[in-house]
Amino acid sequence: MELVLLFISAVLINNYILHYFLGICPFLGVSKKIDSAVSMGLAVTFVMTITAVFTWMINHWILIPYNLDYLQIVSFILVIASLVQLVEMFIRKISLPLYQALGIYLPLITTNCAIMGLALLSALNNYSFAKAVVFGVGSGLGFTLAIVLMAGIREQLDLADVPESLKGAGIALIVAGIMALAFLGFSGMI
Amino acid sequence: MSLSSRMIIVLTSVGIISGGFLVSVGHLTKDRIRLNKQMQIEDAIVSVVPGTSSSQKLYEEKDFIVYTGKDNNGNLLGYAIYTSGTGFQDKIELMYGINPSLTIINCLTILEQKETPGLGAKITDKESFLNYWENRDSSGSLSLHKPAASSLEELSQAEINTITGATISSEKVLQIVNLSLEQLRSLKKDGKFGSEEKDAN
Amino acid sequence: MVSSEARKKMPTKSIAQEYIKGLWKENPVFRQLLGLCPTLAVSNAVINGIAMGLATSFVLIFSSIVVASIKKLIPSQVRIACYIVIIATFVTMADRFLQAFFPPISKSLGPYIPLIVVNCIILGRQEAFSSKNSVGRSLIDALGMSTGFIIALLILSSIREILGAGTFLGHQVMGAWFKPWIIMMLPPGAFMTLGILLALALFIESKTKKKTVKRTV
Repeated sequence: MELVLLFISAVLINNYILHYFLGICPFLGVSKKIDSAVSMGLAVTFVMTITAVFTWMINHWILIPYNLDYLQIVSFILVIASLVQLVEMFIRKISLPLYQALGIYLPLITTNCAIMGLALLSALNNYSFAKAVVFGVGSGLGFTLAIVLMAGIREQLDLADVPESLKGAGIALIVAGIMALAFLGFSGMI
Repeated sequence: MSLSSRMIIVLTSVGIISGGFLVSVGHLTKDRIRLNKQMQIEDAIVSVVPGTSSSQKLYEEKDFIVYTGKDNNGNLLGYAIYTSGTGFQDKIELMYGINPSLTIINCLTILEQKETPGLGAKITDKESFLNYWENRDSSGSLSLHKPAASSLEELSQAEINTITGATISSEKVLQIVNLSLEQLRSLKKDGKFGSEEKDAN
Repeated sequence: MVSSEARKKMPTKSIAQEYIKGLWKENPVFRQLLGLCPTLAVSNAVINGIAMGLATSFVLIFSSIVVASIKKLIPSQVRIACYIVIIATFVTMADRFLQAFFPPISKSLGPYIPLIVVNCIILGRQEAFSSKNSVGRSLIDALGMSTGFIIALLILSSIREILGAGTFLGHQVMGAWFKPWIIMMLPPGAFMTLGILLALALFIESKTKKKTVKRTV
C-alpha cells in the first residue's frame, strides 16, 4: 500500500518537474513536439529505473557499511554516466529503430538534474530497495507526464500569436507555472 | 605513449588525487557532522522534556524512537518521543514530551516539515499551534478542536487546536501523534519500559 | 611563436570584458538558460539564493582553475569524465563544509547542493572555456559567470521572498497591510516569475541591439 502511495506521490503530488524542479533543461528543450517528448520521457524513465537499482546497491552495499557516504556524489554521477553509455550501446546493438527513436536523447540525460536528483532523493529518504525502484519508475512517469502535457500545449502555442520576447523559454516557463498550479490541486490526496 | 595508456593513466591519476581530497575532507568533517546531528536531537529532547540533563535511547523502530529524559539525579522526568508520518505535502517529523505514566503530553515540537508556506507551515508556529500542545490528556486519543480557538481555555484537555486554513496539516500532526500513542501503550503493555523509572512524577 | 603583430590582430577580450560578459551579455541564467533547476528550487528565500550562489561559485571557480591548469594533459576522449570527477570533488567539499558548519542552511537547501554537480553552468564553462584558455582568463571567466549567477538568484529570490512572505532576509519589509502572495513561495510562482524575467531580459536586449537576437530554445 505504501508503495502505491509512493507511486502516486511521485507521479502527481510531488511531480518531478513541477514540484522538485528537476529536469528543467530537457523539459524546455525537448517539449516542442509530442513525439520527441514521449521518446524523451520513456528514455528518462528507463534510465531512472536502472539508476535507482544501481545507486541503491552501491549506497547500501558499499558506501553505508563502510561509512563512505561522502563519496555519494562522486560515485552516483560516475555510475550514471557509465550506465547511460552502456544503455546507449546496448540499445544500439539490440534494436536499431529503438536506438534511433531514443538514442540521441540519452547523452542529454547524463548531465541533467533529473537522474542525479533521483539518486540523491532516494538516498536522502533512505528508501528500501522496493521503494527506490517504485520511486524511480514513478518519477520517470511523472516526468513523462509533465513533458508530454507541455509538448501538447506548446504545439498549440506555436500557432498562437505570442509576443516576441516571450517566445521560447519565457512562455514555456509561464505555461509550466500554470501547470504547476494545476498539479498543486493533487496535494492532500493521500 | 599510446593513446589508450595515456587515457588510463590520466583517468587513474585524476581518480586517485580526487579520491585523496575526498577522503581527507570526509574525515575532517565526519565528527562535526555527527555532532551536529546529535546536538539537534538533544536540543529537541531538552525542549520537550524540560529539565532534562541526560537522556538515552530506549527503543527504536522505523520512524519511532523513544528517549528518556532524566534530571541530574537520574530521576525520570518523562519520555521524548520522536515520530514521523505523511503530512499534507510531504513527511513531517516531530518530537513530543510525555510523562512516565503516558497520561500527559506537555510539549510538542516540529523537527522537519515541508507543508505549504504560510498555511500548513504554521504547525511550527507557537501562537497558532504549538502552544496548544501544553498539558494535553493523552490517556486516550486526542482530537481536533474545530473551528480554530484563540486561547487554551477554549479546548477540552484531550483536544488540540486547528490552524485556520490548514486543517489538513493540523489533522496530519494529530494522526501521527495518536498513532504513536497507540504504539507506546502496546510497548508498555509488553513490558518494554518501566524498569528505568525512579519515579519523579 | 606568434609574432607580436599577429597577436594584436587576434580578437581577445580585455580582462574587464571577460568578467563583465558573465553579468549580462552571457549571463548564465537569463541569456544562456543554464542552471535553471537550482535557480527555481532555492529562490524562495534570499538567504537560500545567496548560499546556493556562493556554493556554486566556489565549485565553478576552483573547477575552472584546475581544468585550465591541467587541460594539456587530458586526452580529449576522457575529458568529460575528468571534468565530472573534478567538479564532483569540489561539490562534495562544499556539501560537507555546509553540513558541518552551517547545518540549518544545508537542510533548507537539501539535495540541491549535491545537484550542483550537474549544474550545466559548470560543465558548460569547462567545455567551452577553461579547456581552451589560460588559468588567469578562466578564473576571470568563472568569476564573471558566478557573479552573473548570484545576481540572477538575488533578483529571483528577492521577488519571491518579498512578494511571497513580505520579508527580505527574514526581516519584515512589507507593512501589515500586505497580504503575502503565497503562490510566490510555491513552484508555480517560481516558474512564472522566471518566465517573465527571461522575457524581460530578451526585451531589453532587443531594444538595445540593432540586429535580431537569436534564441537558444
